[in-house]
Formats: sequence, C-alpha cells, structure tokens
Amino acid sequence: MTHVAAIATYLPCWGSARGRVAGGDEDAVTLAVEAGRAAIDAATGGGSAGGGEAGPGGVQRVVLVSRELPLLEGGNAAVLLAGLGLDPEIEVSERLGGAPAALDALTSARPRTLVIAADVQPCAGAAAALVAGSGLQVVPAARLARSLPVRTRSAAGEVHDYGDPRLLRERGALASLASLAGDGADKPLAFAGVDARQAAAVCAGQPPALPTTGASSALFALAALAESRSSGPLFAAEQATVSGVRVVDGAALVRRVEPAARPVPASTFTPGKEIPVSLAAYERAFSAKVRFEAGRQASTGELDFPPRYRVGQDGTLHTDYTLVPLPRTGTVYTGVTVRVPVPGLPTPYSLVIVELDDVGVRVLAGVTGASPGTVQIGDRGRMVLRRVAVRSGVPDYGYAFCPEQPEEATL
Amino acid sequence: MREVAIVGAGMTPFAEHFSLGIKDLLPMAFAECAASVDKGLDVADIQAAWFGELSTTDGFPAGILADTCGLLEVPVTHVENACATGNDAVRNAVMGIASGFYDVVLVMGADKVRESASKDTFWEWAGMTRDMAWDYPLGLVAPANFALHVARYLHESPATREHMAMVAVKNHHHAVSNPKAQLRFDITVDQVLNAPVVVEPFGLYDCTPQSDGAAALLLAAADVADRYTNRPVRIRGVGLGLDRVMHQHKRDMTTFPATVRAAKAAFGMAGLTPADVDVAEVHDCFTGVEMISYEDLGFCSRFEAYKLVEAGATSVGGSLPVNPSGGLKAKGHPPGATGVAQCVELFEQLRGSAANQVDGARIGLAHNVGGPTAVSAVTLLEGPAAVG
Repeated sequence: MTHVAAIATYLPCWGSARGRVAGGDEDAVTLAVEAGRAAIDAATGGGSAGGGEAGPGGVQRVVLVSRELPLLEGGNAAVLLAGLGLDPEIEVSERLGGAPAALDALTSARPRTLVIAADVQPCAGAAAALVAGSGLQVVPAARLARSLPVRTRSAAGEVHDYGDPRLLRERGALASLASLAGDGADKPLAFAGVDARQAAAVCAGQPPALPTTGASSALFALAALAESRSSGPLFAAEQATVSGVRVVDGAALVRRVEPAARPVPASTFTPGKEIPVSLAAYERAFSAKVRFEAGRQASTGELDFPPRYRVGQDGTLHTDYTLVPLPRTGTVYTGVTVRVPVPGLPTPYSLVIVELDDVGVRVLAGVTGASPGTVQIGDRGRMVLRRVAVRSGVPDYGYAFCPEQPEEATL
Repeated sequence: MREVAIVGAGMTPFAEHFSLGIKDLLPMAFAECAASVDKGLDVADIQAAWFGELSTTDGFPAGILADTCGLLEVPVTHVENACATGNDAVRNAVMGIASGFYDVVLVMGADKVRESASKDTFWEWAGMTRDMAWDYPLGLVAPANFALHVARYLHESPATREHMAMVAVKNHHHAVSNPKAQLRFDITVDQVLNAPVVVEPFGLYDCTPQSDGAAALLLAAADVADRYTNRPVRIRGVGLGLDRVMHQHKRDMTTFPATVRAAKAAFGMAGLTPADVDVAEVHDCFTGVEMISYEDLGFCSRFEAYKLVEAGATSVGGSLPVNPSGGLKAKGHPPGATGVAQCVELFEQLRGSAANQVDGARIGLAHNVGGPTAVSAVTLLEGPAAVG
C-alpha cells in the first residue's frame, strides 16, 4: 500500500478552458519542477524556502514520468534535482510513459519518493505526489498492457497518426477496461488518459475534469479524489494500456498552482543562426544558476551572484565562498521590452532587473507568466525555473521573474 | 610630462560602406589626416601607432593598420576597450608622447559593423560584451543594455520620452550640414515618438545606426608641433573609468559611474571644470544616454538634463552645444572609430573649420561610454586661440 502525503498540480497560465499551452520557456522539466516544489511545499508547510536537512520534505527518490523528456541522452536528473532544491545524490528515475505509467510509479514507490508526471503536448500540465509513511492510501488494482499504436513517435520525433478514432475508442482503453473489470465491479471514480466524454461514459457519477490526457492526468485525477475525500477505483489509460488503483482511505494535502488561463501573447520567431553555447561556462555556472544560489564570502559574509572569487585590498585571493540559497521573491528595479526581431528568440520579450527581498542582491532575468511589456518598475513577483534559451541544441535553464499579479498588455 | 597636441585629423564618411573593406577605410582616413597637416607630413616621421577596433574584421588589427598604411617600420598597438576604444586609443598615444618615448604618433580607429548580416549583428556584438553563461542567453541585445538604465532614469527623473526625442531631433539637425554624417536628414519629435519600438523606451530614432568608418589623428609633442602646424589643438586631459560589468551589480542605474570616473580624471589632469567646456561630443548611442551623460560629465545637476534639452542649450547656438557633428545618433557609430572621430570633429571645431561650427569654441570634450556601460573615456582638448 502506498501513502500519499501531498499532491500538487501545476498548469501554465497560457491557453484556454480547452487546454493549457506551455510557455516558450517551459518544458517537461520546468513543468515538473513547478509541480514538485509545490508538493514539497504543501508537505512541509513551506513556501519555496529551499533546502532542509534531509532534503526538503524528506525526499529520497524522485520519479519523473513523461513522454517528453528534453534530454534523451545525458538525462534530466541534475536539472530536476537542482530545480527542486534536492541533493544531487538523490536517485532519479526518468520513466517514459503516459497516465498508466504514472499510476504504476505511484503504487511501486517507497516512502519518501516524489512522483512527478509532466506533459507538454497536446495540453500542458504537471502534477506531483509525495509518497510517505502515512496519508492517502492507494493500492494497485489492475494492470493490462495491450498494443494499439494508433499514434507513433520515433526516437527522432517523427509522428504517425493511424487516423481511426473509433477503433481507438472501441478497441483501446474501453476494451481494456471492460476486460479488467469483472461483473459487479465498482465503476471508476475517475478515468485518466482519455477525453472527458469517454471518461464520463464509464465512470460512476461525474468524473473530475482533467487538464491533460498524458502522464500527469493520473495525478490530477488523484488530486481531485483527495480533495473530494472519495474512495474507489481510479483508472488511467494510454492507447490500449490501462492501469488501475483503488483509493482507500486517509487524506493528502493538495496544493494547486493553477492560474487562470490567458490567451498566448502574439509572438514572432525570427530564424537565424544557432545561438552559441559554451558548455564549459554552462558547467561552471550550473549550481548557482539552476539552484539559484549565491556565493557567501567566508571572511565578510557578503553575497555574490553569480558567485565569484575576490581579491582583497592587500591583494589576497579569496576563493572560499559557500553557496547559499537566494530568496525567490523580489521587486522590479528596472525593466525593458525587446520588440525588435532578434534571430533565434521569440519577440517581443521583457527583461527585468529584480531586487531580491532582504539580501541586497539583484538579478537580471527574463519575464515569464505575463505578456511582454506589462511588467512595471516596482512590481513584485517570484523567481521560477525556466528554460531561458535553447543554445545549439542545449536547453539552458535559469530563473525567470513571474509577476504576482500579471496585467494585460498596456502597449 | 610633456604636453601633447593634435596636428592633423581626418576621417572617412560614416556610412554603410558595403563596397569598402577595413583595408580600404584605414588608408582613406590616414590620407585625409595627412592632408590636413598644415605644413605637410612625411610618413617616416611617425614613430608609433595605436589602433582602436572592437571587431577584428579581416583579422589581426595592428598588422592590418601597419600593412595598409605603410607603417611596417614602427610599433603598432591594438586597443580594444568596448565603445570607449577610440578615446582610449587617444589616451594611450598621449602617454607615448607625454612619457618622452615618442615625438610623433598616429591614432586610428575603425570598425565595420555592416560587414556581417544585419540579422546576425545583435548576437555577434552581444557575444563580445556579455557573460556567456548568465546574460548572453537572455537576449540582452545592445539596445537593451542601455534601455535598462534609461527606463530607470525616466522613472526617477522628470525627463520623458519627449526629451529623448528632442535629443534625436537636435542631433539629426546637426548632421544635416556634416558631409561625413550617415543620417543627414531632419526629423520631428512626432516622428521619433511614433517610430517602431526597438527596445522600450527606445524607438528606431532613439538609436544609433549601424555604421562603417575610420578616423585618424596625428599627435605630436607640443614642443615639436610647430613642424606641422602653427595651430595645434592641445590635449589637455585624458581619463578612463570603469564600472561593474553586469547590470545587476550596478547599484544606481540612473548614472554611469564609469563616466564620472573618466571625467574626474580628465578634468583633474587638465585643471579644468565642466563649466569651461564650450563644445562636446557626447556618447549618444541612444538618446537617453546623452541625457544621463550630461549629468555624469557635470554639465548639469542630477536629473536636470531635461532642462538643458528644453532650453536648447545643447544645440548649436546654445550655451553648450553637444554633438555638433550629429553625434553617434546621426553621424554614425563604427565603435572603434567613434571616439577618434569625435576628436576629429573637435579638432575642426577648435580651429574654426567645422562643418557645423560652434562660434568661439576654445575647450572641447569627447566622451564615450560602453562595455555596455562599464567603461568610459573622456578627452579634453583646447584650441589654438588660447595657445597663441
């Protein structure tokens, strides 16, 4: 039996009631970090405070389930752990899978595992569940792997669509579900991984509306059942493969980071040559940049961001700084909006210098979660992990400023 | 320390010189400089040269200067100090003479911004000036660097976008009569305000064009200057100032401390004050930068630049004409050449032969700020009337 202490969900602010769209600076890893941090915060009652003694929330393992892992070679573990504020020694499993895989990851997880599922296409969202020694009890109920590859995607990303929705409906998830549920079995309370109409057709009562049909939909469904304190079966499908769990008893803290949907701002992409990257510079900067940490000088206690060596008035070299987490809230000191086309970047975009709260440290950052040109000097917001650029094929992660109260475009 | 004077000055027009390479522009500017020497120049008199260039178009800069200008027998030093390169090349050459090492030296500056596709310029030039891991990937293109300052300046000072537009109108008007200027047409405040936005708060007409060009100065020790001219322009002061490189480390972005430091050094060396300046060539890569620089150079009090603009004080005919050449804004801005060309303009202004002459100008100031905003160079010149 699995105990879930906390569940958190994250939806990008862009899109509509029909579905959310990941921002140009979001991918499965940044989505996962948003959901994962929220789950840890919910479990610890914190507000993105950063590291604790045994890792925030006592997390000892992380499982990321997605069909859209950004780095199929080299892996995403380092960025994921850094973004989550977890120790780089923690074990990360990256599982290629959809909604059934997310449920399987949950039921096979040992306590102190953070299970995250993230989707980018066709609708974006992420959800995370923190497995613990107590909480909402979930037991595995059924599992069936069947093959009906109506949509395929090769390693190179090439997609083929078979183009027969009725075949999928008749011989896909519903057929699997029928063969799993014997006569007299409870109807599921939620059915993830299928569209809302199919779910309504097989569920008892009105199943929860789910914002994706991918891996994260299973955990969005679990969050809904936890919120409504419902016990019963929860199924999840991907094509013809289905997994089921039974939610038994207990309670989980639920935190939803689901801002209201807004239309994606108009944007122009100007092709150009690839933006070069120095991986030597990337590697040197990684910890400070992706963990959002400053260097604290041992002798003076001063914070440097980015961390740096210093030379004293007597010419002595000081290299003995320690990395310390920076506060993740602040106020815009100055900001501009680039409207001229810049090859390789979508324009317009806004850049701000943010004065972080209480530490006398400022950071230059792009703006996320708000239409370009809407952030003003004095606005408050938080720093969030985003993919700030893709440079010569390398996703470059760093922190962007997300305003507290995004306004509509004024210019 | 020996006194140093400018005895010759010349430059190519600033323009999109698609048909001329750096190896063409350098000898063109050099020859015009030589031709400006009242009593003539024997190239063999030149004992050393300093060459300011930011990019390295066609390769190794010092070698290209030596080769294209026929200076293979003398040492040539490449100077690169971001947009302060030109006036820093002057400063280095001054030290060469002031120290007693040389009597006659050449200073040149050149760049060819339009050598690469316009769509690639942002990244190429950002790559020269930005931290590769932290700032560069954010798309901190050149106008954004300065816009971050000017946005805060507009927030704190009474200045408005209209004042910035008035700077653009002024500098465009100054350029109309300058045959070396790139943008020789008048514009209106409305045109500036309604132009397409590049990076807020800069519209198209708030920004310098992309330019190619070269400029040259012949410097001589004051005690030998009369071999070349009876009307030398003395170099009274030179100064270079630096500042934190990353914008997030600049505590007050309404000012450029690099300029304050450079100006303090130059004025201190000259024994002059800002009130002594009769004409100035001020770094106006973006209109708001000219206004902030008025304050940093001591031409007015903090946050009062708008008053000078409103009063027309910095127009030709005003009490302190700034950028009679048209400035970077309208004359053009090939970065390595810019500061040297400012001194070419002042050489002519202080000898009464400028295209857009400021009456009775005796003391001139040239100013660059760049890197972006982490380095500044200031040069103070004095015309021959006061010497004679």
